[in-house]
Amino acid sequence: MPGAIKTSLASLHDVELCSYAAAGERRAFGELVRRHGSAVRHLLRRMGAQAAESDDVAQDAFLAAFERIAEFRGEGTFAGWVKKIAARQYLRRLQRDRRLSALAAEGVEEEADAYAGDADHRIDLDEALKVLSAAERVCVSMCYGAGLSHGEAAEALNLPLGTVKSHVKRGLEKLRARLAPVNEAKTGGAVLEGRRGNG
Amino acid sequence: MAEIDFERRLERLFGDAPDLADATAFAQRVEQRLDRGWTARRWLIGAAGLAGGVIGASQLMMSNIFQQVATAEHSAKTLSAGLSRVTPTTDMVSALSGGYGVWVAVGLAVVTMGFAVSRVIEEI
Repeated sequence: MPGAIKTSLASLHDVELCSYAAAGERRAFGELVRRHGSAVRHLLRRMGAQAAESDDVAQDAFLAAFERIAEFRGEGTFAGWVKKIAARQYLRRLQRDRRLSALAAEGVEEEADAYAGDADHRIDLDEALKVLSAAERVCVSMCYGAGLSHGEAAEALNLPLGTVKSHVKRGLEKLRARLAPVNEAKTGGAVLEGRRGNG
Repeated sequence: MAEIDFERRLERLFGDAPDLADATAFAQRVEQRLDRGWTARRWLIGAAGLAGGVIGASQLMMSNIFQQVATAEHSAKTLSAGLSRVTPTTDMVSALSGGYGVWVAVGLAVVTMGFAVSRVIEEI
């Protein structure tokens, strides 16, 4: 019978699973974790968390999501909602360990050498993110991975909005150079302002 | 590449997260933590209910409930004596007048208090 239950849960939409989970059905929530756990863990790793840390934070985020599942109205995707929770929890952990202040105080170090000669190869996002500074990686991941606006990211990071925008802009430039097709990389991309600059 | 296109591509890349090898094990760990949390919560509610019941009972016993019950017993006896002249003595009245009334009252109070505290905690 458990197998049959799993199969029936697997056929349900996220929103349906959320409503079951809101009624206290933990197996339904488990199915959601099975579906989106990897995406959340990937995001945390892209933000700079180590594998074990990303797993811990992702677990905490899912538990927090279960507690607050009634707040999820289905306006966005469930994965997006949990990613936001996870990103904020990761930042709280950084703050608790006093790593966030170090990240905020991080200087603007150009790491051009790290990617100058690699534009000929189209590499994946994980590799590309490695050339970003920690602050840039966190800001870009929060805005493009977790779906936070610049303003929300600034609030979560406890940084001025302008600083976050700068980190995102520099991060995007580096990513663009790293990820762009060869011809574009050679000509140089336009300066990215970021369409998320909605405060 | 247009700026907006690149941003969309970036979002897609971020969204494109293949399943990790231990995705099922991860989900099981989360489910286990959820189960542990619920079990702990149940124990907590039960323990709080029991503690509430004990506290309520002790409060009853510490107060001058015995004097009041003694008075009530005396009244019951008087009532019983009065009633016996009119109708046969009922079991309840005799039980109350026999001294069991105190313990019945205390027992009911413990159960009621435990139930009330459990409900309140559950609602919270």
